Formats: sequence, C-alpha cells, structure tokens
Amino acid sequence: MEEKNPPAWGSPESDPPAQEPPAAPADSAYTQWYEVKSGDTLWKIAKEAYGDGSLYPEIFKANQDILSDPDKIKVGQKLRIP
Amino acid sequence: MKLKSAFAGFVSMALAAVLLAGCANQMDPARKAIADIEAAVTAAGPDAAQYIPDQLQTVTNQISDLKMKFDQKDYKGVIAAAPALLAEAQGLAGAATSAKEAAQAAALEALNGEWSALSASLPAAVAAIDSRVNILSKSRKLPANLDAATFESVKTGLADAKTLWDQASAAQAAGNMEQAVTAARQVKEKADAALAALGMTAG
Repeated sequence: MEEKNPPAWGSPESDPPAQEPPAAPADSAYTQWYEVKSGDTLWKIAKEAYGDGSLYPEIFKANQDILSDPDKIKVGQKLRIP
Repeated sequence: MKLKSAFAGFVSMALAAVLLAGCANQMDPARKAIADIEAAVTAAGPDAAQYIPDQLQTVTNQISDLKMKFDQKDYKGVIAAAPALLAEAQGLAGAATSAKEAAQAAALEALNGEWSALSASLPAAVAAIDSRVNILSKSRKLPANLDAATFESVKTGLADAKTLWDQASAAQAAGNMEQAVTAARQVKEKADAALAALGMTAG
C-alpha cells in the first residue's frame, strides 16, 4: 500500500544524509489523530480533513517523528491531523 | 370586731401595694434586658442571616419566648434568663464573621481549582483550533462537513477566545480570580463551539 503523492521535496539525489528523526511535537488532549486504513495516502487523508489533498505536507510535517517519507504510510499508523 | 376586719383589710391592701411595687420595679429591668439582647442581634448585621441562619434563628426564637414571659408579667423569669441569652446574642457577630471568612476562603479555593483545570487545557485547545484554521485558510475548498459561514464564525470565535484568554490571564496575574475564571469559562465556551464546528474532539 504505497500509492504515490505528488513530489513535494526535491529529488532523491539531493536528499540530505540520514538524520535522527525529529522529536515528537508536544501532543495534548486536543491533538487530532487518524488511524491509517488500507488504500489511504496522505493526499486522501488531507482531502478528507481539509477539503484539499494538496495540503498533505501539513500532515507530513506534523508527523515527521513517525514518517520519514510522505509516500510511505502503513495501515494502523496513528497520524496527527493538525 | 369591726376594727379587726378593717385592720385585716388594710394589711391586705398594703401587701398588694408592696407586691405591685415590686413587680413594677422588675418590669423596667426586664424590658431593658430584652432590648439589650435585641440590640446585640442587630449588631451582628446581615452577615448573621447569610452565614449563620440556624444560630440566628435559635436566638430569635428564644427572644420570642422571653417576650412571652414579659407579656405574662414573669419579669423575674425574664431577668433570670436574659444574661445567658445576651451572651449568645453577643456571640453572633463573631460567629458570623468567622463563617463569612470560611465561606470566602472556600469560594477562593474553588476558583483556584477551576482556574488550574482551565489553564491546563484551554491554551492547548486554542492552539489546536488555531492550527486547523490556519491550514483550512489555505485550502482551495473546505471539507464536506464545514461550510463557509460556519468557518467564518469559527474564525471569529477563535479571535474572541484569544482576546478573552489574554484578559483571563491578566486578571489571574492581578489576583482577581473571579474575573479570571469568568473569562476563562467564556474561552472554554468559544473553544468548545469551534471544536464542534470543525469536527474536532478532545481526547
């Protein structure tokens, strides 16, 4: 289940060397969570949450402690929906 | 014989006069005793009725009993009972003050508790709403569960919530807990409304 999102950040050749994943943002009782289902992509999730799939980078940004690649999400992952 | 009965009559009349004089002598002190007790109750002020109503009612009932004794001309009885009741009446002012202070302390503690709870949660609620509104403002089309009019009202509510939160924080810093909590409750109302409109929930 790895449907592609449109490219947002540069080509693989210009990717920086592997780094420590960013620290998790401070969650609160008001953090909105979404559990990834089969067939989901960040684009689809953004379209559902925001009415506009092109805003998927917002979801990726909020979950960089969990996701290293916006195209690689797994069923059952719990993602923050800012 | 006639002299004997006249003398007896005279003695009876003299005795009655002495008794009457004695009673009249006690009437004024008895009246004053009741007046002093009532003055002590008045001195306790409206705080007695508000904070120690049962204690006040007990004293008031006893004053009524004393007045009944007075009406029955039992001045001796009034004078005997008055000192204890006066002491009780004089104690009302101090008891009312203590009860009032305790009530005010309890109210302040409740306000502090409510503030702690609200200040622990509301900033995060407002931040979550703020984040969502910022993202939706970039959206080419709003999600299916949100129309333009509702989104506008969410934005207005969010702005109001931020202003109110600043006011609440300032009031709390100045020690005005009632004002702080009142404003914070309004923030919560606006935040809850915005969260519901956006389809967001609290975990």
